[in-house]
Amino acid sequence: MAGWLKKIFGGEKEKEVIKLFMEHLVTVRMACEVFKIAIEKNDKSLLAEVCELEKVGDTIRRDIALKLYEGAFLPMVRGSLYKLAEIIDEVLDMLEDTSVDYARLISELDPEIRELCVRVAKINLKMSEDLISAFEALGKEEDLKNKTIKLRVREREVDAIKHELHKKMIKKEIKNYWEGKILSDFIENLVKISDIIEDAGDIIQILNVSLR
Amino acid sequence: MIELIPFIAAALIAFSIGSNDTSNAFGISIGSGALTFRKAIYLLGLLVLLGALLQGQKVMKTVGSDLVDLNLQILSLSLLTSALAILLSNWKKLPVSSHQAIIGSLVGSGAAFGAAVDSGTLINIVQSWLISPIGAFFFSILTYKTMEQTLSKLPMFEIERYLRKLLLIAGMIIAYNTGANELATALGPVVYYGLLTPIQAAIVGSFLIWLGAMMLSGRVIETVGKGITSLDAFSGFAAQFGAGVSVLIFTSMGMPVSTTYCIIGGIAGVGVLKGVGTVRTKLLRRILASWVSTPLSAFLVCYLVGKLILI
Repeated sequence: MAGWLKKIFGGEKEKEVIKLFMEHLVTVRMACEVFKIAIEKNDKSLLAEVCELEKVGDTIRRDIALKLYEGAFLPMVRGSLYKLAEIIDEVLDMLEDTSVDYARLISELDPEIRELCVRVAKINLKMSEDLISAFEALGKEEDLKNKTIKLRVREREVDAIKHELHKKMIKKEIKNYWEGKILSDFIENLVKISDIIEDAGDIIQILNVSLR
Repeated sequence: MIELIPFIAAALIAFSIGSNDTSNAFGISIGSGALTFRKAIYLLGLLVLLGALLQGQKVMKTVGSDLVDLNLQILSLSLLTSALAILLSNWKKLPVSSHQAIIGSLVGSGAAFGAAVDSGTLINIVQSWLISPIGAFFFSILTYKTMEQTLSKLPMFEIERYLRKLLLIAGMIIAYNTGANELATALGPVVYYGLLTPIQAAIVGSFLIWLGAMMLSGRVIETVGKGITSLDAFSGFAAQFGAGVSVLIFTSMGMPVSTTYCIIGGIAGVGVLKGVGTVRTKLLRRILASWVSTPLSAFLVCYLVGKLILI
């Protein structure tokens, strides 16, 4: 009887889902960190780790979906929670694509372009940390608004760097189509990561008001 | 043999309460996954039995003893008409309150067979039908406002955790009311005519409600679970809790009132809080029309059939 009551009133499934979300977000943070070190040190051997972390993220997303389907949380928030899991997974997908592009670069990055890319990677890492603290705020009496504003400010920083990168890329001479294509894809994907993290922050903000 | 007619009719009413009204209690909790269908049905059976045993006597007395001087003809005609009306309305998906059908039929049959109908009790019952949804309307507003001042200020995951429990508690109150009021209304005449003791009625009636819920309520619960939760959790809880409190108060006064009408009153209360425009006045008018037409038609059918029998 006590076990049955605990199952109904204890919120065990919800705790498991929150734990899975934290693991998902920590995986994103780890992937951002590994990626940042890889391009900072130009160590392409580290990029395989990003791909591994993407697979871990996929498994966590599936587990979250299953737990939600089994009845964790009220139905009116399940949709937003699953959307959040999907977007977090998209961050990992984008990090993987960017890593593959980086590994395939035909020529080395110009020092100026590299420096800008490292700046973006550092901002992405900070944003992944902000995202963790925004998610944690859903369960604590903390001001979530400031945390999501922080995410938006950092995303704007990346936007500004994106324009600088475009200016520098236009001036760069390329030897063939594929060299330019892969470099362009790499830069486009790199600057998209912050957009997706910002989207995840928006979903967290929607979740925060969805039951009030 | 003829004594079996009211017994079978009352059993049919109890069965149909189980198949239709279970959704009032646990539709949201099943939809939210807080309860599985099977656990909800067992919990419902237990709470209906508790309600009928602890508080069902007063409503049974009002309906079975105070309202009309019963005889076998009145009892058979009124319960048979009510059962047929309820089954027909379920089949045709018409919004018919079992309370109103039973009371209208009892008064109509009583009038046809020349039995004494206590006008004071009848007026009290009709007043309860009017006041109980209005009570639910205000209770739900009060509940919603209280939640806005307290629960709403907590972090999101905390709100979700509390809401999940509150929705279950509100459902349990409604399930208790199903025994204390709805079942008591259906079985009051049978008990006061002497076909069953109150305890036998509570046990048999709860079993029939449980059986109706187990066999036929699955799809209704699914619909209501999705329907009400699509409102939003705050409104769903405020409406259900407001209705539960209102029915409990009237039950303690021995008045047979409709949980469904009270839930509608509760939903209207929350709707008004969010702006009158959100309340579907066309639907409310239809419900109001049924509120008037159900007891009147039950009265008329029983009165006419009763007179025909006498010819």
